[in-house]
Parts: sequence; structure tokens; C-alpha cells
Amino acid sequence: MRVAAKAMTAALVLLVAGAAIGAPFVPPAPPTQAAAVPPTPRAILKMALEAPRLIDYEGTKIITALRNGRMETVTVAESHKRPNLLRLEYLSPEDVAGRVIVDDGTTARHYEPALNMLFEDHSIQDGGAAAGLTLLTRNYDIVLLGTDEVIGRQAYVLSLTPHGTGVQRQLWVDRLTGTVLRAEDRDASRGLVLTTYFSRISFSLNLPEAYFRYRPPAGTRVVSLQTVAGGTQNPAQLQRQVGFPVLVPPALPEGYTFRGGAVSRFGSLVSAYLRYSDGGNIISFFEAPAGSIGWPTTGLPVRVQSQPGRFIDLGYFRVLIWEQRGLRITAVGTAPSETLMLVAGQLIAGREQVLVADVSRRTEADPATVRRLRSEGLTFPEIAKAFAISHALGTGIDTTVRFVHGSLSVTDLATQLKMRPDALRAAVRRAVDTASMTPALPASAPSGPPAGLPTP
Amino acid sequence: MNHHRAGRLLSAYVDSELTAAETRAVQEHLLDCAACRDAYENLRVARDLLAGLPPAEPPAAFWAAIRRPMMRPATAEGASGGWAGRMRAAWDSVVRLPWPGIAGRRPGLVLAGVLVALALAVLPLVKGTVDRLHATEIGVDLYVHDHAMQMGTAPLVDRAYVGLVAGDAELVLAGETPRPVGDIVR
Repeated sequence: MRVAAKAMTAALVLLVAGAAIGAPFVPPAPPTQAAAVPPTPRAILKMALEAPRLIDYEGTKIITALRNGRMETVTVAESHKRPNLLRLEYLSPEDVAGRVIVDDGTTARHYEPALNMLFEDHSIQDGGAAAGLTLLTRNYDIVLLGTDEVIGRQAYVLSLTPHGTGVQRQLWVDRLTGTVLRAEDRDASRGLVLTTYFSRISFSLNLPEAYFRYRPPAGTRVVSLQTVAGGTQNPAQLQRQVGFPVLVPPALPEGYTFRGGAVSRFGSLVSAYLRYSDGGNIISFFEAPAGSIGWPTTGLPVRVQSQPGRFIDLGYFRVLIWEQRGLRITAVGTAPSETLMLVAGQLIAGREQVLVADVSRRTEADPATVRRLRSEGLTFPEIAKAFAISHALGTGIDTTVRFVHGSLSVTDLATQLKMRPDALRAAVRRAVDTASMTPALPASAPSGPPAGLPTP
Repeated sequence: MNHHRAGRLLSAYVDSELTAAETRAVQEHLLDCAACRDAYENLRVARDLLAGLPPAEPPAAFWAAIRRPMMRPATAEGASGGWAGRMRAAWDSVVRLPWPGIAGRRPGLVLAGVLVALALAVLPLVKGTVDRLHATEIGVDLYVHDHAMQMGTAPLVDRAYVGLVAGDAELVLAGETPRPVGDIVR
């Protein structure tokens, strides 16, 4: 009997393997009634992140976004061919109709018919599903709300709420393909700020590659707009390149970690660009010599720690600009205005040396190492967290920093330490709970308007 | 026409090198923009100043002093120095010219030289101001563009929306008018 069962299993394995080898991608079958156990939220999220690499589609998407205080609706024909070919053709409103963006995963080409101009820029497609999943699962509460029907297709409804601040996202993930059919981004203070949904979608069309190559009409003016240099640099490397001091934020909302730096160049304007992300939202800092750029004429005048600043609410994105120590600093992100004000206030306070000494003392770390980690873009709470985990697990500080950054997952570190992932998570939680995080920002955004920020 | 584009076209406008449509657009912008009016006025005064100068012929000695070392057969030093050596010799000859004498005989020539030198010195300052005005105009759009492009690399962010925001910013960076707010749905 046991032999027969083994033979049957082997035959099944061979059958499945034989069917898979050389066969085109077949989307996973929907769960049957008999096996109606829904997948975990993490598994659905993984499926959504991996879908673009596995699925071709063509559809019509409706975007409704908050823009300069008003909701705007835009219609776009979106085509995707795996793994990374994308074509966007904007259909309405009239002032955007005819705009075409074709992206091959390396370069995005944007054609503007009214001007007969073609802009060449970096790709607007994501760099890796695995890294995204690590940070998202670490910094967001991911909850499966249930299932729903979108344009006649069954979809899982996922909610992603950041532990820190930033927009809360709800996704309708197609059960068969993993494609995000509908998405809603909500802001703590303003409610719905962005909605996208397919009003029509077709899969597995075998779209020709030529459709994703754009040949502009004769006489088109081609403009290269790759303002941000490729690759990534830490603040110390950036400082050497731009020739002015690059300031690193002392603290950021929970979960935000340094994701890279680059030089942004446009004409004579050279800025150092630091990027922090929690996996789903990004806060960007642009630093340039104050004399190289004038004060913007738009936005509201604000005071950041008694320094004059300007706050510009673009709708989905918010911008805060201020000056300190001869630098003009611009923060852009989806974070609430009060969070941007707090971050700016801590940068202006300029207590770098005091905080280096304080964190070194609390974590029993060498001040030189703390300074080195700062020059690599880490905030003080991240440094304190890295040392606490390093002491608790006995890991080297550089390995621990990779873990804190999200470039080393729980599973990978657990394998290295020969621990169970659950045990590692518990040990990390204990270590972080006992660590003193100074300076810290509130974990969630206060609901009211920030002090010192005039309302429009 | 926006401020940045008008600023770029001002010099050509002063020299009447624009098309009729561009000229009209710059004129309309000048009616509304005090900064561009000031820049235009400065450019116009500088042009009138230079145009009003009498044509001045350099003294015969000036050209002779330049031509002589250029035409001279290569000496041992000149051959080893190549063009650099010849240029150095030419420069030495110019420096050795009787400058006080020229100033006395041809004050117009000296004045023209001084004005040209002054214009060359002032040009970077004017350009710096124009660059700063430009940066003021595009600063926020540039940073929103760069931020949106990075948002595109984050997982689960809608690419069509990122393309819309980045595309709008690209128009402003190219000196075009920003897209007005579209349909209002609430």
C-alpha cells in the first residue's frame, strides 16, 4: 500500500513537472470550493508584486487624483508585456489626450503631441519585488478584507496601513492573475487622494514588442531629462561630489529607511538628493546651495523652528521648503504636513554632535562608528535599533544595518543565525523595545493641522 | 509663455531675431512680468551702448604687431612651442605696444575695448541671475519630477499616475505652460 502511494506521488510529480517544462505561463487556478482556505495576505501581496513579470495585459484605466485642491479624472490606455514593457496612452482630459509614454524597463520615452516633443527619462517601473515585499511586510499592517468583484472578475481586497505615516492603500488584486485591478490611496487628514481602476482589461494577448517601441513623428524635438544620476550614493559620497555639506535627517517616521542618494542636475542647479522609504511611501530630500535657487512664488509661508519656509500642497504630494546653514532644503512626499514640519525642525535644530554623543553613550557604541553610519544615511533611531539588535543577536553591525535597511530579510538572517524566523522576529522585537530611540517622531500622524502652519 | 521661456528668448527679442509669434508672446509676457521687464531694459541699454559707439579702426601698428610673429618662420623656441609658442610671442608683442600713445590718439578704440571687457565681465553675473530666476521657476517642478520618478520604482505605485505627474513636470522643465487643473469631479 505504502509503495503504491509513493509510486502515485512520484507519477504526479513527474506529470506536473512534465507539464510545466516548456509550457507557457498558466495563471494559478482559483481555489476550488473544496479548498476554499484563502491565501495569506502576504501571499496575495507577493502575487501582486510578481504579476507584472508574469502577465501581459491591455486595458483602459481611470485615474482620479487630488491635484491642486481639486479632484481630476484622467483616462489612460495601459498595455503591459512581461517582464517590463509598458505603454501608456492618455485619452482624456483634452489637455493630456495623445500623450504617450513607452517604457522598456530602462528608459521611459514621453511624447507630447501638442509640442511635438519627446522626453527621454529613467524608467518608471519598480526595481524588485523581493526588496519591496520585505519592507512592506515589515512596515505595514497587511490585512485581507475579503473578496470583491471588479469588472466581473473576482478580486482579493487587501489593506496596507503604514506603521508610521503616509498614505494608507487598499488594493483589489485579481484572484487569477495577481494584477491590481483597483487601488485607493487614503490620506489621514484628507481622505481619498488617489483612485485607479481598470474599466476594461484583457489578458494574454501576446502583444507585439513593436507596440512598445516608440518612433516619434518627423521633426520631433528630443529632450533628455535624466536629471538624477543613475546608481546610488551615500551622503558622504554625495558631499564629495557636490562640494557642499549634505545634511542627513536625524529622525524620520517609523519604518522610513535610507534607500539611496544621487546628484540631481538641471542647468546650473545642482542638488543632493536623499531618498527614504518605508516600502510603500517615499520622502525625498533635495539640498542645494541657497544662492543657486530663488524662493518659490507659490505655496503658503510657514515658519520652521523660527526659520522662514514655504509649504506647497500639490494634492497627492506635499512639498516643504526651508533654508538652513546656507542650504535650501526641499522635502517632497506623501507624508502629512506636520510630519514634514517635524522632520524639518529636527534638521534645523542641528544637534548632530550632541546626538552622536547621546546615541553612542546609550548604545555603548564607538562615536566614530555612529558618525560613519550617519554618513551612510541612517537616522539616529535606526542606528540605535541596529546596535540594540546587534548586541542582542551577536551579529556584526554592517550585517545588522543591512537587516534594518530591509536588504536582508528575516528569513535570510534567520538562516545565517540558524534560528527559526519566528524566534528571530521575537528576539528583534525584544531588542528594539528595550532600545532608546532618540530623537523620535510620532508613530502616527496627529489629526489636526500642524502648529505654525497656516490653513489655505 | 512662462517666465523661464521668456527669459531665454529676451536676448533674441532685443536683437529682433524672433518669429512674429514669439515676438508677440514675449511682448505679452513683458506686460505682466516686472523681472523680465528689468532684464529686457538692461539688455536693451547694453545693446544701445555698444551700437552707439563709433566704429574704430585699430592703429596699423596693432595688426602689424600681431601679424609679425604669426608669419615669422618657426624658430627653435617657436618650433618646440608650436602654436602655443607663436601665440605667446604675439601676446608679448601686443603687451609691448605703446598703449598710452594709442589712448591719446584713439580714445574711442580704448573706450570700446573697456566696454567690451566690462560686458564680458558682467555677462556671467547676468547669466547667473537668469539661472537663478530659471531655478526659481522650475525648482519645485524639478524636485516633484525627480520624486515622482523615484515613486515609480516603489512597489504597487500606479505607473500611469506616476507618468502623468512626471510628464506634467517635464513640460514645465522644458519651458512650457503647466497643464491647467482638469475635470472637477467633486
